[in-house]
Amino acid sequence: MLLKDIRDYQILFLGLFLILGIGTRDWTLRPELIAVAIATCLTTQCILSLVQVRKQEVEDAPNLLSPIPSTLNLRSALITALGLSLLLRADHWTTMAFAAASAIASKFFLRVNQKHFFNPANFGIIVALVFTSDAWVSPGQWGEDWWYGLLFAGAGGMILQRVGRWDTTAAFLGAYSLLEAMRNLWLGWTWDVYLHRLMSGSLLLFALFMVTDPRSIPNARMGRVIWAVGIAIVTFLLRNYFFIPTAVFWALFMFAPLSILFDVICAAPRFDWLEAVRSKGVGV
Amino acid sequence: MRHFRFIIPLLSVFLSVLCFAPTALAFCGFYVAKADTKLYNKASQVVIARDGDRTVLTMANDYQGEVKDFAMVVPVPTVIQKEQVRVADPKVIERLDAFSAPRLVEYFDENPCVPYARRGDVFLAVPSAPVNEAQSARRDRSLGVTVEARFNVGEYDIVVLSAKESGGLETWLNRNGYKIPRGARQLLKPYIRSSMKFFVAKINLDKFEKSGYEFLRPLQISYQSPKFMLPIRLGMINATTEQDLIVYVLSPKGQAEITNYRTVKVPSNVNIPIFVKQEFGDFYKSTFETAYTKEGKRVAFLEYAWDMSNCDPCAAEPLTPDELKQAGVFWLDGNSPSDTSISPGFRRPFPTSNVFISRLHVRYTRDKFPEDLMFQDTSNRESFQGRYILQHPFTGEVKCQAGKEYRRSLPKRFEQEAQTLAKLTNWNIQDIRRKMQLSVGNLTISWWETFFSWLGM
Repeated sequence: MLLKDIRDYQILFLGLFLILGIGTRDWTLRPELIAVAIATCLTTQCILSLVQVRKQEVEDAPNLLSPIPSTLNLRSALITALGLSLLLRADHWTTMAFAAASAIASKFFLRVNQKHFFNPANFGIIVALVFTSDAWVSPGQWGEDWWYGLLFAGAGGMILQRVGRWDTTAAFLGAYSLLEAMRNLWLGWTWDVYLHRLMSGSLLLFALFMVTDPRSIPNARMGRVIWAVGIAIVTFLLRNYFFIPTAVFWALFMFAPLSILFDVICAAPRFDWLEAVRSKGVGV
Repeated sequence: MRHFRFIIPLLSVFLSVLCFAPTALAFCGFYVAKADTKLYNKASQVVIARDGDRTVLTMANDYQGEVKDFAMVVPVPTVIQKEQVRVADPKVIERLDAFSAPRLVEYFDENPCVPYARRGDVFLAVPSAPVNEAQSARRDRSLGVTVEARFNVGEYDIVVLSAKESGGLETWLNRNGYKIPRGARQLLKPYIRSSMKFFVAKINLDKFEKSGYEFLRPLQISYQSPKFMLPIRLGMINATTEQDLIVYVLSPKGQAEITNYRTVKVPSNVNIPIFVKQEFGDFYKSTFETAYTKEGKRVAFLEYAWDMSNCDPCAAEPLTPDELKQAGVFWLDGNSPSDTSISPGFRRPFPTSNVFISRLHVRYTRDKFPEDLMFQDTSNRESFQGRYILQHPFTGEVKCQAGKEYRRSLPKRFEQEAQTLAKLTNWNIQDIRRKMQLSVGNLTISWWETFFSWLGM
């Protein structure tokens, strides 16, 4: 049973990063906030799923084909919780709870054609940054040790290969590193500056685990690639010309609703990798 | 002769002045000593007071040549006009340093037989001082260099330049009497390309002499820009060794951190042997060095993070509203009830809590810190201080049973302290043990007592 679902791997890796973070990097990671994030995500998921099931039952009473286990989708909620714990910092637990609750709620309320267009963790992060006064993201805290980079790349690559969304990561990282290379060349910095900018653990974490969520990104490959390149461009602009340290999250947030548009333009069967598995999305 | 010093790791401290560390009977032990920036020969100090995109940057100078040779070039995000520059009181930086320095505190064990006995202890720290100097100016045009502003402030002659290409800027600086270090040209280019301006300061010798100042005073500039960064690359041109940079970030929000390097807390809150009291400076230097090496020499250290309205224990009294304004805090007016009501019952009115200080200590070299430092202020209001604890054992005579147990527990505790110290500083544990014997010799624990306690009896 265990590790049968691809998302189990993802949960495993994200959990591993958290343990590494607490164990080897003396971060501001606080175990009680991680607990709050997990508890809130799971509870919100349960409540909203049950409400949804009820509603469904009322609407089409004879249709009893929605057994509770499949709609609960606790894995996805756990992934969101881990993602929030990894990326979001808060001074008070209520902020984390708020971020977690809105992250999960966004899956239920912000959807078009059975597809939620915001990455839940990303939505939670942005909402917390905007609506609370004590949330922040620490982009520097993952450091730039190659070992971590490798770990991210290895773990992420493994998941992506199975999920079949490596194209998004490749498009995002490719476009972003190209833009940074051009800027570096133009400015005349030495190349160690360039490498240092790209060797950010947070960037890799984002590229491998957040921008690849099949539930909230365009379905067609062409759509995904253009979409990811768009995010890379906006990230680049926000980071270098508006000096926003959390540029990637804003860029993804801005592009999330556009994935609907891309789906319309490049209509394609969604979830081709999931036909057999019949389960729901993977996402940080 | 080095005519030219690139900053920001600019200049640094020269300052001196005697400073008496105040005694503070605090909840966290008795404050004894602090490890301030005077420990380091070359430590630039920068104060950044920032709210939103408004910044007041104070740069203290550690320039050690002749004053007439002094010159500095700082890339700044915007054109700086005369009214945006002033000379700050060096004392303010010293106050910030004293307030936020890593500290040593001591506790005294009570008589295990008679509870409630207390004593205090006082210490004073005496700093020392280096000197500074500078030169005069001429001018030129063309070369793609525009003089955006030219003025003097206090003893400084200041020119603000913008340039179209680095060759022109280099030539301009050369023609105007600045000796540019080799390699500067390549390093100037990225700043020119990102349309930064150059803030160039020299000393006006006449004014300097007239003013009667012995040292170069810190320059303080105010500007508005979303860029929250410190250019360290230029300062590494002619540096052969590691450089220390202490950044005090004052923010109405909370802790500041670096976004493109890891920010790590210095080791803190540990019990160490009592003899360290005599060599706290060396102790902290070694501790920092060990932590720095352990982290791969590529992190910034957080040495202090605290709301500026209080401290516990206090290495120095909190800054007054006036001193905070001197340090560049511009958002105090209006929000601060501190000036108004001073109830006579209290010793002294503290400024209100909308100033949060973060003291970041960056030791950098060219290979580990390729990129300029980028900062952000977070909403993290968690307090942190580099704090090291001396726990004095009770030395009086004990007769009761509890007293004997207490005595027996001591050797284990001392050993623990020795190991902590060895781990923190990388000092030789045998030396530490030997020194500890000296400092606890008056405890007169008989050899069999020690032996029994080792056996756990």
